Amino acid sequence: MNTLMNIDPWGFLDDLLDTGSRTLRTMRARAAGKFPPVNVYLDDTAVIIDMELPGRTAKDVTLSLEPQAVVIADKPTVQVDGTTGAPEDRRPAWSRRLELPFRVDADKANAKFTDGILRIELPKTEANGVRHIEIK
Amino acid sequence: MNNEEKFTVPAATFAERPEDYELKVQIPGVAKEDVDLHMEGRTLTLKTRSKFQNPAGFKQVAFEFERGNYSMSVDLPEMADPSSLGAKLENGILTVTIGKRPETKPRKIDIL
Repeated sequence: MNTLMNIDPWGFLDDLLDTGSRTLRTMRARAAGKFPPVNVYLDDTAVIIDMELPGRTAKDVTLSLEPQAVVIADKPTVQVDGTTGAPEDRRPAWSRRLELPFRVDADKANAKFTDGILRIELPKTEANGVRHIEIK
Repeated sequence: MNNEEKFTVPAATFAERPEDYELKVQIPGVAKEDVDLHMEGRTLTLKTRSKFQNPAGFKQVAFEFERGNYSMSVDLPEMADPSSLGAKLENGILTVTIGKRPETKPRKIDIL
């Protein structure tokens, strides 16, 4: 295979962002594909996270929910003989932990891949509501 | 500025293989019906239109990637055969395979 062209839209950033700034290095890492980018939408009842994962499907990603955070990670590939190879190979290539502004209901969470974009919908738990305490 | 649409150049690779060429383009979030792929002479052009809308009533709080309008074009090499072209869109990756002109493929010459 002979590569004739390789378009890397973010290549120019390497020079521009070669700085000590941690924020800029994170932006560059994200742009370079070190971890997938997300768009996050919020309203009073839920949070929606869209993650850009071209070429991937459900079998390539793991999703775990903490009471107030979601962790999306790459699922290490299983080799042909059914093993995952050396223990070092089993670490995910990337992992993102997104803290949420409210607690979410794991039972009502859902996630779906469409055209290489993973959409995760996380409804708020009822428990976030204000609970009135009766004064006896 | 007039109402011109903004297009992004998608990440892509174009590689030559012994029997054909393969162009792979990353266009996540684009459905088949939103892809416009056409050939003009020896130039292959791709344009996509996104119909994506933010979820109704939601506020966007993180914005790390843009949706949808992609545009790019590739001039096919001499040995490519523009009439033998196949394209497939799967999980946001468009793979276009272009055959090589038959007379350009290596062939053995028998000595009589």
